[in-house]
Amino acid sequence: MATAMELRTRAKRRKLIIQGALIVLSVIVVLGAIQSARVNLAALGITSGFGFLERGTGWDYSFSLIPKSINDPYSKTLFIGFLNMMFVGFISIILSTIFGFLFGTARDASNIALKTAASVYVQIFRNIPLILQLIFLYSVLIHFPGPRQAMSIADAVFLSNRGVMIPGLNVPPSVALGLLIASLLLVAVLILLKTPLMRGLLYWLGGTVFGCIAAALIFAPAGESIFSIPALAGLRFRGGITVPIELAAMIVSIVLYGSAYIAEVVRGGLNQVPRGLTEAGQALGLTPRYIWSRIKLPMALRSIIPPLVNQWIFIMKATTIGVAIGFSDLFMLVSTSITQSGQTLELIAILMLAFLLVNFAIAQFGNWLNARMKLKAH
Amino acid sequence: MTDMITTLTARPSRMQAFVKSMKRNAFGTPLDAAITIIVFSVLAYWAWLLVDWAVLRAVWRAEDVGDCTEEAGACWSVIAGRHRLILFGLYPFEQHWRSTLACLAIILTVIFSCFPQAWSGKRLTLLWGVGFAAYYLLMEGSLLGLQQVTTDQWGGLALTLFLFASVVLLGMPMGLGLALMRRSDMPVVRGFATLIIDFIRSLPLLTTLFTAAVVVPILLPSWLEGDKIWRVIIAFALFFACYQAEVFRGGFQAIPSGQFEAGKALGLSYWSILGRIVLPQVFRHALPSTINMVVVTFKETAIVIIIGFFDILASAKAAFGTGEWAPHYLEVYVFVGAIYWVFIFSLGQYGEYLKGRMSIAAR
Amino acid sequence: MLTKATVVSMAAAAIAMLPGAVLAESPTVKEIQERGTMLCSGHNGSYFGFVEVNDKNEWKGLDIDICRALTTAILGDPEKAQIVPLSWAQRFPALQSGDVDIIIKATGWTMGRDTELGLQFSLPYFFGGTQFMAHGELGITDATGLEGGTICVEAGTTIERISANYMSTIGVEHTIVSYESAAELRAAYLANRCDAFAGWGPNLAVLRATEIDNPDAHIILSDKLSSEPIAAAMRQGDEDFVDVVNWMLAALLIAEEEGVTKANVAEMAATPPNPRVARLLGVEPGMGERLGLRETWAREMIAAMGNFGEIYDRNLGKDSAYNLDRGLNNLWSHGGVLYAPILD
Repeated sequence: MATAMELRTRAKRRKLIIQGALIVLSVIVVLGAIQSARVNLAALGITSGFGFLERGTGWDYSFSLIPKSINDPYSKTLFIGFLNMMFVGFISIILSTIFGFLFGTARDASNIALKTAASVYVQIFRNIPLILQLIFLYSVLIHFPGPRQAMSIADAVFLSNRGVMIPGLNVPPSVALGLLIASLLLVAVLILLKTPLMRGLLYWLGGTVFGCIAAALIFAPAGESIFSIPALAGLRFRGGITVPIELAAMIVSIVLYGSAYIAEVVRGGLNQVPRGLTEAGQALGLTPRYIWSRIKLPMALRSIIPPLVNQWIFIMKATTIGVAIGFSDLFMLVSTSITQSGQTLELIAILMLAFLLVNFAIAQFGNWLNARMKLKAH
Repeated sequence: MTDMITTLTARPSRMQAFVKSMKRNAFGTPLDAAITIIVFSVLAYWAWLLVDWAVLRAVWRAEDVGDCTEEAGACWSVIAGRHRLILFGLYPFEQHWRSTLACLAIILTVIFSCFPQAWSGKRLTLLWGVGFAAYYLLMEGSLLGLQQVTTDQWGGLALTLFLFASVVLLGMPMGLGLALMRRSDMPVVRGFATLIIDFIRSLPLLTTLFTAAVVVPILLPSWLEGDKIWRVIIAFALFFACYQAEVFRGGFQAIPSGQFEAGKALGLSYWSILGRIVLPQVFRHALPSTINMVVVTFKETAIVIIIGFFDILASAKAAFGTGEWAPHYLEVYVFVGAIYWVFIFSLGQYGEYLKGRMSIAAR
Repeated sequence: MLTKATVVSMAAAAIAMLPGAVLAESPTVKEIQERGTMLCSGHNGSYFGFVEVNDKNEWKGLDIDICRALTTAILGDPEKAQIVPLSWAQRFPALQSGDVDIIIKATGWTMGRDTELGLQFSLPYFFGGTQFMAHGELGITDATGLEGGTICVEAGTTIERISANYMSTIGVEHTIVSYESAAELRAAYLANRCDAFAGWGPNLAVLRATEIDNPDAHIILSDKLSSEPIAAAMRQGDEDFVDVVNWMLAALLIAEEEGVTKANVAEMAATPPNPRVARLLGVEPGMGERLGLRETWAREMIAAMGNFGEIYDRNLGKDSAYNLDRGLNNLWSHGGVLYAPILD
């Protein structure tokens, strides 16, 4: 039929026109944006480009895992921000996942008390904005006693409004960082070797403890103990590891919020396991723990992992709120750099790139995990 | 669903069922019994501490702030004295009746949209349009012949609700548009939508809003810049739309493609198939997730404090910012937290209820 | 709100507008006149004495009053100033993006801001140095006592740089915690999160004055880290706007020198005691036309806001809760460093 053919060609042409128009429009918008950026920046006398990254900043900020100074170039400062973000995000993801699984399982438990307690937890922390929880927690924490009136446990762990002071290994920070990385590498190796969970945990724990002791014996200054215990000296504590109160507030509030969300994800996954399967387990006389670890959890994991990965990405993104309490995460350092250097466009581009990269990495990890789960089930 | 089955099959009498389930679920084994007793006593103790602090030993009236000592419980005087600042921010004091009515307009809009009678595209659009217009006219005032109050003076809960309503109102059609573009058979259109959705979803909301507030003006010619608040609202709406588009996509996937083909065979145009046949079903399927998105949006509005808006969190901080109220930050945060919690919890529970009802209907 | 001053100034404005509209030469001024409002920088919370929110939720403070004076000069009505709340970190991006017309917010004049950030500055209208305030219980008198301590500072300010630089010069090991809002910083310091608070001298003095119950609770350390000239910041490229702002500031100072006050300005305009006052108040022409403003703008401004001394006293000085001494910020004739350019 000629008319049908004609209609089809007309539809095809229309589609081509629409797509062409969309491309032209996008190009115009992008070029327009570049043009007005050029005009606006020229009017303000701002030179664009990434040259500023090599200039010293001249200002200081609260937290860094590696040594910092006020003469660091912007590039190093931003890298420290990225490290801080990854550090908070990583710890929060691990802790949220552990607590999320605990509370999610408790919500699915038959015991009514566990169920109630877990529900109360989830309903409180999930239904209040994260930033409000963070600011609230921070306000409470800074009203704790000062360092000289710090609460202490066995004179080794101290809690004050400056932070939590815990004993640590008597090694330089770079060695400590190396240990942390080695410990993480061990985890990766064990996963790649497909070591069973319990044995893997054992290996990891053993390896880490051994590594720490060995490092302390080698690197601790001669004649000093291999442990460094915090003790009050003047205005602050010397020795041990100090977790600044901002970092503690960040991690605690993100974990409370994130674990409440993950608990819901876990509960949803457990709910989707067909009742017939658990009943079959019961009929075979398996113990509830065995049913949970061998039937329910493996079955549930497959529907848990995709939303779980979304929650991990969410937690990573949530680290931006550190700016509200003065924690020097990437967002805060970018924001301060913008005011101090005026290189708005470049700095925002760096910030966005960092997040795209991290999200992409987590999503890839999620895909890998998913694929691995599927293979196992076959 | 399992709960549903048990309640449906075994229903001798409620009391009996309750006793029986308690016996099984609370005291089934000695371990269970121990857990139950310990957990419930801890919960009860905490609940008692809370009631003791918040009610029994609390100081209620603003004049009695002197009674707020270390031994006293919650000092609600700060709320009694400063609640207008918390709720309405910098809005002119004598005009607070307007913000009260305006907030009510938004809250009623949300409540009315929960009734199934309102669930059609037209009615919802009308409802939200009217609610939003009522809010805007009351708050802005010049069109009603009242004293004009510009947006920079809006604040507190009123500003939070304004952000929330405008984001949902703008974001919903944008989300639908993106979802349709993503389903398009034109590769460029599809690619464009996918790019935007994936990009925005990869960034934290704060980054998007910060960009809109601080960076976008550099990229726009001055005549296009507009107010900061509107730039932020549009960026927030885009963020909402990108997530909502994925919700709609899920709704589309639930509809058999045969329906489109049947419509085509009947000679209906694309738009009428979409509007008359497909979209109503998509909306129904997407409803629980949409409510979830709306709840999340309300919760996320709190982030605007960081980019310098005087929302309820910022006004809460201002409320205990002056000397005499400074020690009572806890009460203010509890008050604001409670406001958020009531909104979010009730909407969330409603979403859960709908989800349950729809999964029954689907069987 | 219709105060007496508003009525007076509005009436004056109406009269001034009668003989033909004056054409502003500055694009910024033109834009402000077309818009009908002036966009000034506020703060996210209160920066006491300079930009603060009072119990009735109104903005007040020295910087707010100077903004209102400028608004009166350009638009004839102080109520047409619209205060946009901004954090420290956002003030320059907001200026660049046109969210505000000018930044009058305790902003120091630095080379980096003048050149790299693409700003230009008015004449300094205030002088204050960066100092430290510490908790009295520490029993220290200068910054060397802060060894190992924690110092709080506002992110994105010159103070952040100055204190970092100073502490590394004197070699005192310390920890920094930086906050984006003054309220957050103040709360953290008062809660003893930090041992010391690096701030701008006048602001520290104000903060100390608000804690009058216990004057020994806080001590301002003897170190003088810097002396900063505070000036209004504007976008580069509009020299005529800088002229308007400079002569607005000059008019406030000249008025104080000549004893022209809010109360006697009408009387002074009717019978000018000398040619300088006559010119200032627009009795003799020259003041308006050369700036592209109304001839009587200074008269209206003083009628609405008072002279510089009155503005100071109302917000920081003897008529305020803080009761700060004028010190450097007095006229040159009274031992200060403020002086106006020549009105010819």
